[in-house]
Amino acid sequence: MRKVEVSTITAILDTSLAVIFTWVAYKTGQILWKYTPYSYPNARIRAMEARLFTEQKFNELAESKTLNNFIMNLEDSDYKPYLTSLPVLNSESIDRALDRALADTYELFYRILPKRSREFFKLLLEEWDVRNITSSVKAKLRGEVARDYISEIGTMVEKVKAIADAKSLEEILVILEGTEYEEPYQKLLLKEITPEEFETELYKNHYLKLSKYAATRKDEEKKILQEFVKLKIDKINLSTILRGKAHGLGADKLRDSLIPGGKVKRKTLEALANMEDVEMVLAELDSTEYSGIIREHREEILEDISAFEKAFDRYILQRMAELTRFYPLSIAVPLNYILQKESEIRKLKAVTKLIEDGAKPEIIKRVVGELP
Amino acid sequence: MEPIVYVALGAALAAGIAGAASSFGVGIAGAAAAGAVAEDEKNFRNALVLQGLPMTQSIYGLITLFLIALVSGILGGGFKFAETTTENIIKAAILLGAGLTVGLTGLSAIPQGIIASAGIGAVSKNPKTFTQAIIFAAMAETMAIFGLVGALILIITGVGF
Repeated sequence: MRKVEVSTITAILDTSLAVIFTWVAYKTGQILWKYTPYSYPNARIRAMEARLFTEQKFNELAESKTLNNFIMNLEDSDYKPYLTSLPVLNSESIDRALDRALADTYELFYRILPKRSREFFKLLLEEWDVRNITSSVKAKLRGEVARDYISEIGTMVEKVKAIADAKSLEEILVILEGTEYEEPYQKLLLKEITPEEFETELYKNHYLKLSKYAATRKDEEKKILQEFVKLKIDKINLSTILRGKAHGLGADKLRDSLIPGGKVKRKTLEALANMEDVEMVLAELDSTEYSGIIREHREEILEDISAFEKAFDRYILQRMAELTRFYPLSIAVPLNYILQKESEIRKLKAVTKLIEDGAKPEIIKRVVGELP
Repeated sequence: MEPIVYVALGAALAAGIAGAASSFGVGIAGAAAAGAVAEDEKNFRNALVLQGLPMTQSIYGLITLFLIALVSGILGGGFKFAETTTENIIKAAILLGAGLTVGLTGLSAIPQGIIASAGIGAVSKNPKTFTQAIIFAAMAETMAIFGLVGALILIITGVGF
């Protein structure tokens, strides 16, 4: 009897130990896998966030009066190494230096982020390739200097420069050979598609890649990345429809320009594209999750569609900031930072251009204040 | 199993799990501290304080290890529960339970490290949030303290000196 009692006790103890340890090991492993890789990059990015420019800093920069003073005002910033040895001091050279700073930020994120999510930043960088290629090709077709339209950022800056310097449209095909852009460009050369359709196809392919990548992630990474990509797609689709309607385009012309994969469903997009004018599109959008943007900026959007784009950019920034607060150790933090950095660089570029044009500080402050 | 195995396991798991959890917690917070300092050296002091918080669980584990070793006679005399009787098995199981309580609640060092890591990030952005970051991270400590108190009650009332 006593022997049975002892063995029962030990059996219960042994089983309990086995169950507890299996569960604890599984849960601990899960937690460690999820959070540990973001510990270093996110703290570093948070420290970088502390150095982003405040409104007061932009006001100081607006008072610079000359580009020399502007550079001096940036001496204590992260941009110093990029601005100290400019060959010529004008807004274009400063723009290029700022682009290099942004490219290095992407590069840094690619280096420090966990392997399971860093590829997303490479894909984001490819959006600059799409922008550069479409701008260069369109400039070439218009007979303009393509170099003026490119930014020195992306995954194929040298190829983009070669495209901008190409002497013929056929030469561009040789440069694009072997890349994913070769096929659409070939169609453009053969006049199977228009330059606008070429641009749409490149953006469609790019956002399809982003969507696919986001869909293959797990848990909150998937949620955050999908939210980000869907918001970006919605911004493009809705501004395309609004711009189209402002120019009196019909649904048949707009349909092919829409990118699938956004939060706004195809059916709703179709309905929006079929609306008569901008006002009706805005009324229809009032029933979507973007009603807040519409209600707040209706009058400005009716005057200028770019007000919608600015408001939407602010909305994306705000949404990413919310996700950052909710998931402090996740990919939301670098995404939020890169959006803020892009916004900062956009404002800096505006300030340099306005200083060069001799605009008054009050005007510069107003323009910068309006930018997202 | 023999009573000595349970007693030894209790002592080892108390110090082992809590110690391992502390090292993970300190590691996670340490990586964040390195990231914060890489951008600005001024973050060092705040980051160091937050990084050290998950270390306390390993101290609780060590205290429990000594207590178990003391009451079972491993320390300072012969082992008291050498014979495989029901009474000895129960006492050994109580000591194992006490050790496990401290070990498992010591796992709070891992989430504490995660909170401290997020806190280091927040303090790097805004140093004024330092006190709040400490309080948030210290919350996870409560579970480890409860575990230690529970283990002390188990050891003193269940086995005694």
